[in-house]
Amino acid sequence: MAEVTLVEAVNLALAHEMQRDADVLLLGEDIGVNGGVFRATNGLLGRFGRERVIDTPLAEAGIAGVAIGMAAMGLKPVAEIQFSGFIYPAIDHIINHASRLRNRTRGRLTCPMVLRSPCGAGIHAPEHHSESPEAMFAHMPGLRVVIPSTPARAYGLLLASIRDPDPVMFFEPTRLYRLFREEVADDGEALPLDSCFVSREGRDATVVTWGATHYDVLAAAEQLGEEGIDIEVVDVATLKPLDFDTILASVEKTGRCVIAHEAPRTAGFGAEIAAQICERGLYFLQAPIKRVTGYDVVVPLSRLEKQYMPSVERIADGVKQVMEAQ
Amino acid sequence: MKIFKLPDLGEGLQEAELVAWRVEAGQMVALDEPLLEVETAKAVVEIPSPQAGRIEKLFAEKGDIVHVGAPLVGFDSGAEGVADTGSVVGAVETGARVMREAPVAHGRGHGHGVGMKAAPAVRALAHKLNVDLAMVTPTGPDDVITATDVQRVARILSETEPAEPLRGFRRAMAQSMALAQAEVAAATIMDDADINEWSKGADTTIRLIRALVAGCRAEPGLNAWFESGSLSRHVLKKIDLGVAVDQPDGLFVPVLRNVGERAGADLRAGLDRMRADVAARKIPPEELRGATITLSNFGMIAGRYAAPVVVPPTVAILGAGRIREEVVAFDGAPVVHRVLPLSLTFDHRVVSGGEAGRFLAAVMADLAKPA
Amino acid sequence: MGLDFHIDHLQLLSPAGEASESAGPIAEDAQLLRRLYRAMNRTRVFDAKAVALQRTGKLGTFASALGQEAIGVGVAAAMAPHDLLAPSYRDHGAQFLRGVSITEILLYWGGDARGSDFKAARADFPICVPVGTQVAHAVGAAYAFKLRKEPRVVATFVGDGGSNNGGFYEALNMAGVWRAPLVVVINNNGWAISTPRTIGTAAESLAQKAIAAGVLGRQVDGNDVLAVHVAAREAIEKARDGGGPTVIEAISYRLGDHTTADDATRYRDPEDLKAAWAREPISRLRAYLAAKGFWDREQETALLKQCGEEVEAEVARYLSTPAPKSDAMFEHLYATLPPAMRLQLEEARRFAPGEGDGHG
Repeated sequence: MAEVTLVEAVNLALAHEMQRDADVLLLGEDIGVNGGVFRATNGLLGRFGRERVIDTPLAEAGIAGVAIGMAAMGLKPVAEIQFSGFIYPAIDHIINHASRLRNRTRGRLTCPMVLRSPCGAGIHAPEHHSESPEAMFAHMPGLRVVIPSTPARAYGLLLASIRDPDPVMFFEPTRLYRLFREEVADDGEALPLDSCFVSREGRDATVVTWGATHYDVLAAAEQLGEEGIDIEVVDVATLKPLDFDTILASVEKTGRCVIAHEAPRTAGFGAEIAAQICERGLYFLQAPIKRVTGYDVVVPLSRLEKQYMPSVERIADGVKQVMEAQ
Repeated sequence: MKIFKLPDLGEGLQEAELVAWRVEAGQMVALDEPLLEVETAKAVVEIPSPQAGRIEKLFAEKGDIVHVGAPLVGFDSGAEGVADTGSVVGAVETGARVMREAPVAHGRGHGHGVGMKAAPAVRALAHKLNVDLAMVTPTGPDDVITATDVQRVARILSETEPAEPLRGFRRAMAQSMALAQAEVAAATIMDDADINEWSKGADTTIRLIRALVAGCRAEPGLNAWFESGSLSRHVLKKIDLGVAVDQPDGLFVPVLRNVGERAGADLRAGLDRMRADVAARKIPPEELRGATITLSNFGMIAGRYAAPVVVPPTVAILGAGRIREEVVAFDGAPVVHRVLPLSLTFDHRVVSGGEAGRFLAAVMADLAKPA
Repeated sequence: MGLDFHIDHLQLLSPAGEASESAGPIAEDAQLLRRLYRAMNRTRVFDAKAVALQRTGKLGTFASALGQEAIGVGVAAAMAPHDLLAPSYRDHGAQFLRGVSITEILLYWGGDARGSDFKAARADFPICVPVGTQVAHAVGAAYAFKLRKEPRVVATFVGDGGSNNGGFYEALNMAGVWRAPLVVVINNNGWAISTPRTIGTAAESLAQKAIAAGVLGRQVDGNDVLAVHVAAREAIEKARDGGGPTVIEAISYRLGDHTTADDATRYRDPEDLKAAWAREPISRLRAYLAAKGFWDREQETALLKQCGEEVEAEVARYLSTPAPKSDAMFEHLYATLPPAMRLQLEEARRFAPGEGDGHG
């Protein structure tokens, strides 16, 4: 067991799976010699060689497209898009091919690929490097969308994603890459996909969240605890397919719900969760659902990014709002 | 190898001539130690080392024109380690915190039907009509409370006596008993003390207090405070006895301090004064706090045995019922003796059955004495 | 029918600063050469200062153009004021000649979008981060000029990595179909972050990608500002005369890191870097100017002093610019802010920090 950061956990999972399964290979920009711009693939070129750790030309659409071809032939490509802000050229391949290859061929061909990409703001980066596009992909039938919030979940969920026979969009919150450590056993144990995690039990309100925001929600829980408000924290982890039962059980227990995510508000994935709670859990609610999200603005440049992101203060404020409502 | 490049020379200067090296490859240098001298248009400038370490390689020779930003010296990166930002844009913060949480649960959570089901509009109606949803029997499908249900209960309540919110000591009793019930693992043993040998005019309450002290001497663990959060207990030497006093508007438990060291007359005087203060509503709040063990002499009213409530943080309460005459076996023959029924309720999280039993035995033994 | 092609390579000034015999009139144009020399130095002095600002926490991530000054300066100096520039993110050398201020470039990398609201160069595109996408924008703008019969030309820059991107091929293809008045300059500095040019493509030259699009492509020594300028001038005149697009591959070397957050020693041989310094653009021009008597020590000292002072003044302006307020996130989202967004605007104000100071 070692205490590792989230990005180190990604590295461990990739190494473990490449060792275990010769069909797994990596491709992406600067992942080989440079070990990945965030060092997620550090050391893997040396261990597994050029044929399984591929430094590609600068071509996001191409990366997604060739990964689909590899996967259709039974390889297990784990492709990296260097930043989720550069995933947009690849969307044609992801949506028109990866998401529906199994469906179109009635299961004859499948697409067991993983597309990893750092997402989210908060690292003081230039334009286009701070995107949260998860809702777009969650909307598409046939895709899995997974976002880990801790090193242990990154390790276990990435293993599960690679082993899964269908395409997985694996968004890694850049801000959490090195923000804290956790003990992670490099034992090859996958965590379940399609499952929420209850990170913290509480009585007064449920906060549903994922990704980098999960970290701030836990910080808000500490703060609120000192003020006598005890929140339950549900980490969605797999957005699609959504484990709604866990969310529903929590809302039934507390009667109050806040959904917190960094992506912009309108048609963010929080809207889907809120709609499902209204469909199946309306009678448990003692207050309207509150969403604490990024604003419906272009993610601002670094001077304003802290004001854009849902802060600990805004999250705590949102919880207090649902506590005060009748 | 960590490359040190020629730093900004200032004043817009972009290059200089390397006049002299002050170090050589393989040499260990300290931070700020002079590495080389360069000559600009203005002056000869000494360039200090940006770090301590071993010099692996020199990238220019005496007489070369070196440019700002060009490599000068390569340091062995072994000792210092290469300062890797681990990013290509921005700054990814490296935190020192180690997270210890494990998820409480994951996946496939199932509800247990604990909550009351009512649409928000119905809840608003109940709030407006001052109806507690817990009192409403649902008639909607799937046990949902409907607006009609709320209105029905509102009508019933309007035809009955108005709800009287609990205040003051009643409120405190409602809250503390609920808490006690939720927390304590209560167990009770009961027995009769044979008080036939008592002289006439004996002060029952004082005898009970004395017997209780005897019990505490035999088993000090029943005179204690329990901290459930940290699973620890304070076994207390001083016995501050909570004495249950019944009043029309509620139960009061004033505390008689240090009963283990006070004579009977002093205890009686203290007890009388406490009772008078309670009746006159003059008892200060601190006199109602800090009991280490409690005595409930409910027998002054009625009743034989009881399982009185242990209120945390104390761990034991002794209840005394009504003295009566009873046919008992004595030396193999039936006789009529006066007996005093006793009930000892204890918090089994902290006190064992054996301890409670020995406590009670000591109480009974003391009560059996003539004086 | 035999398909044969040839990419010509132009160099007029050797790394040692000797002009070739076919250099032509530019080699004698002291005034022009001094102008180019000054502009390259101004770029480099700014560049070094920007890196230093980043290292002291006063600027965000910055992409240095160290060693590539001749490319931006040589091309932009050949543009007319009414032409249009569509830069990548490493082209401040060209942008300065177009009238973009140093303060504006600092604001951009300092995380303030006002840096893209150019006070001069009003029509030029802003810095473009998604690699290669600026080429399509340039093609569209060029088409607009052609449609309106305006005698304007678009120049766009893209890196060697960017030339491997699908978007580059598509855009160039359309430029060829439309005979767009466009010059595409490939800044081949040898590196796409850690990906060397040799594994970016199997094509022998990057200029030959133009042939696939039916367009003229040529190579120049990107560290030779004379050659860059001459080639750019020819391409711009050709475009203005309706002759269609040209691709100029300018071969240089990225003497700095990819950005201030990158450490190129992880993947580059320091010997390569050292050798590249020997071919850098500014010293070779200085050597030539000095040898021709067009430049002397006093002028050098005065220039560096002037550049230093100017950069300091702009840096001071940048550092004293107050940080944008939360309202800035909601401004220019649409022509007018939709009423539905007012609640969010007010919420952001509620959580805004107190009065902050400047960017420093």
